[in-house]
Amino acid sequence: MPSGSKLRGGMLLLTVLGALLMMPPLAYVFDQDLVHFGVPQVVFYLFALWLVLIVGTAVLAHKAGPDDIAASGEADR
Amino acid sequence: MLSADFVIATAVGYVGLLFVLAYFGDRQARRNKRSFLHSPAVYTLSISVYCTSWTFYGAVGNAARSGLEFLTIYLGPTLVFVGWWFLLRRLVRISHMQRITSVADLLSSRFGKSNRLAVLVTCIAVVGIAPYIALQLKAVTSSIQAVAGSSEFGQGALRGIDDVGLAFGVAAGMALFTILFGTRHVDAKEQHHGVVAAIAFEAVVKLTALVAVGVFVVFVGGGLEAIFVEAAAKGVAIDAHDTFDARWMTTLALSVAAIVCLPRQFQVTVVENSDENHLRVASWAFPAYMLAMSLFILPIAVFGLSRMPAGSNPDMFALTVPLAFNQNGLALLAFIGGFSSATSMIILESIALSIMVSNHIVMPLVLRFGADRTDRKEGVTRLLLMARRFSILLILTLGFFYFFFTRDSDALAPIGLISFTAIAQFFPAVIAALFWRDASRKAATAAIAIGFVFWVWCSFLPSFTSVSLDIAWLLLHGPFGVPWLRPEAMFGLEGFDPLTHAVFWSLSSNILVLVLGSLLTTQSALERLQANVFLDVFRRGSTRVESIALGSATANDLFFVAERVLGQQRAAALFEAEELDIGRGEGAQEPTSAFIGRLERELAGSIGAASAHVMLSKVVSGSEVSLEEVMQMAGETRQVIEYSQELERTSTELRSTARQLEAANAQLRELDSQKDEFLSQVSHEVRTPMTSIRSFSEILLDDQELEANKRQRFVATIHQESLRLTRLLDEILDLSALERGERNWEDGIVDPDAALQRAITVSEALLRQRKVAVQWGPRATSAAVLGDEDRLCQVFINLIVNAVKYNTASVPVLLVSSLSGGGRFRIDIADNGPGIALEDRAIIFEKFARGRRGGADQTGAGLGLAISRQIVARMGGTLELVPGPLSGACFRVTLPLNAVQ
Repeated sequence: MPSGSKLRGGMLLLTVLGALLMMPPLAYVFDQDLVHFGVPQVVFYLFALWLVLIVGTAVLAHKAGPDDIAASGEADR
Repeated sequence: MLSADFVIATAVGYVGLLFVLAYFGDRQARRNKRSFLHSPAVYTLSISVYCTSWTFYGAVGNAARSGLEFLTIYLGPTLVFVGWWFLLRRLVRISHMQRITSVADLLSSRFGKSNRLAVLVTCIAVVGIAPYIALQLKAVTSSIQAVAGSSEFGQGALRGIDDVGLAFGVAAGMALFTILFGTRHVDAKEQHHGVVAAIAFEAVVKLTALVAVGVFVVFVGGGLEAIFVEAAAKGVAIDAHDTFDARWMTTLALSVAAIVCLPRQFQVTVVENSDENHLRVASWAFPAYMLAMSLFILPIAVFGLSRMPAGSNPDMFALTVPLAFNQNGLALLAFIGGFSSATSMIILESIALSIMVSNHIVMPLVLRFGADRTDRKEGVTRLLLMARRFSILLILTLGFFYFFFTRDSDALAPIGLISFTAIAQFFPAVIAALFWRDASRKAATAAIAIGFVFWVWCSFLPSFTSVSLDIAWLLLHGPFGVPWLRPEAMFGLEGFDPLTHAVFWSLSSNILVLVLGSLLTTQSALERLQANVFLDVFRRGSTRVESIALGSATANDLFFVAERVLGQQRAAALFEAEELDIGRGEGAQEPTSAFIGRLERELAGSIGAASAHVMLSKVVSGSEVSLEEVMQMAGETRQVIEYSQELERTSTELRSTARQLEAANAQLRELDSQKDEFLSQVSHEVRTPMTSIRSFSEILLDDQELEANKRQRFVATIHQESLRLTRLLDEILDLSALERGERNWEDGIVDPDAALQRAITVSEALLRQRKVAVQWGPRATSAAVLGDEDRLCQVFINLIVNAVKYNTASVPVLLVSSLSGGGRFRIDIADNGPGIALEDRAIIFEKFARGRRGGADQTGAGLGLAISRQIVARMGGTLELVPGPLSGACFRVTLPLNAVQ
């Protein structure tokens, strides 16, 4: 299991990369004038990126384990 | 066929179902802390209150009108949830610890529990949300009309009622429902489990409805590809060109800000959160929910555009497409789905806003002016509930009026974006509150205010163009004909999309004022304290900071305050836990300041941080003063710490000096003992010749009749001894002069080989007398070293004489060699004598060390080698004893070559 700081680094990378990929100029790379199954390619690209972000977050959140933040806000009671 | 009456009856029945759900949800959640309602799934579903009828109806319309732009509204929140670890987790932790109840409370609490800031944020939120509420009213109204208008007999009870009347009815019903729902009691943490349960249920309903419509469309259209191909054949296509323009970035940024700052989102994500670990699931489940919601938006839009008659409202495709295919059941489901998304938003948004209004506007007013009313038991609780009910009415009224004035605009999404722009003005301050220690209250207040002013001018005002000709004229020509103040072309920035324009000016001025203002202003003591509490939230042991900030108060006074806000039961429980006696009067135990801090947080959970602070300040003596004192004390403590650190540094320096002195002292003692030894050796050396001189001279004096030849021998001995004495004294003088560096010394370029040759020539007589054969090894001629030639010669003579004098071999040999290289010049003088005993090797260069081999024959005082070594050292070289090529000793002189040569 990777260390906590590496997981956090992964989360940061996923967030920043996700933001960069859905903004110009990187988004232009996939915004070609192509049509697959009648649907413009960019639609597939955006939904695929979305899915990757969801799966990536699920994997990282699962790996981080619940112990890291188990000491929740009730601690000061 | 559906009739309006039937649809409205269904809607009312649905609301009744929600109410029952909320009621039982509340009871269930209260009874069982581990119930299903506390699960991360319900938490995630409640967050999806973000998907309102804007999503259900508006996204389809938006996709039909402007292509993929609708996606940004969901991609922005996805980014926030993907990065939950950095922003949301911090937000939730802080809010739990500080009992934060709203975004206004968060900012007020962070910036020194400032009530003015809370009031500002609340007012902006109430005004800014009005278009959003109007959007929901418009969507519900349009959907009812879409159903009713689809058939001749469908009008039913709606005959003769226009959309304004219908919207008023919807607003009134919603107000009633929300008041019944959300303001039944005041919770310590402002958590509404019943409402959350209903919202979660609605989330499932709206997703099911939209997916059902989507699947139906794909089925009827003959598959995804067929729908798009057919649309393309009819010249209808989703606009996928120039998707990533400035507007894309703008709406993306707005949705990022909205998911954090929207009052209802803050309420469900942060305030209603009962366990931080739920975020872990929501981080991917909520984006997944939004993905599922968006999946069929495009097919529905494209299908609607190609199949529905021209001029149909694309916002209503989700409803009108099933109706066009006579699928009444599906249409009803779609209507309920849209109704769900609208009601959940209105309920939660007005609850969240009413909490803000009652805590930040009504409470402070009551505290200031109506103190008598709060003296009654339960008075504050009832007052809060009344205030919340009236704020709900106010908020829905505002929403209705906005709808009334802008009812002619047709699209839903642009209305929502106006609200997003207003709410986004909080985002820079929220980020600064969480991550920037130096952000100050004045700067945050000014920043939000200036952002709001730009929003009113550039975004809110232009939405009334269709209502007033004056505003339309204003847009064209600017106020008083000043063109650079035109709301949609500020400072001459023309040609931009109005939304991008408004967001650019409002947010950039907001951020500039926030940063510049924070750099220029100073924080108050309470602000600094709160900034530390907020920024160090994840640092261990730093959460108790505020407990030292308060003064002291009697338990009775505190209980009085607590009872009024929290109610008798909870207040008593709180005091019991601390084992404080109430009503004992004098001599009662004083509450600790930690307890006062905890009480303030509990109160803040009900009435907001600023009001709780004001309320406690009234009974806690001198809390403001003591805060200043505490900060000063902290400053003094720091000074003391610095002073003691300085002392420690000084003492370390002293210790090291003492150590150096000790070492110097030891060296001096050593030198002193060396001097004593030297003196005793000198005395001894002097004494021997003196003794013989004295005894011979006594004989000469006493015995006058001594034979002449005997007398002659005695006189010769005296002369010889006195010569030896003189030589000894000369050598001692020479050595001490060398050691002090005082003796005449002529530095010049010397050829050491020549000096060696000279020394051998001088010693010629002695060599011949002893029959010593001089052998030459390799010679390095015409080298040059810096030094005194005579003294160097003296060294060589001394070495040669030693080698000859102590040589007892039958055929004595002297081997001399010189070598030059590597910047050094080396001369070895070796003999085949007995060598130097092992135990003497270490001391032969000491003064008066003669070695044992000499026996009676030796005449020197034992200073020769010491002097030679001093001379060579003075020239920068070394004189040492090395293993030689012959059996005897080998002395080596190494000198540095003159660099100039």
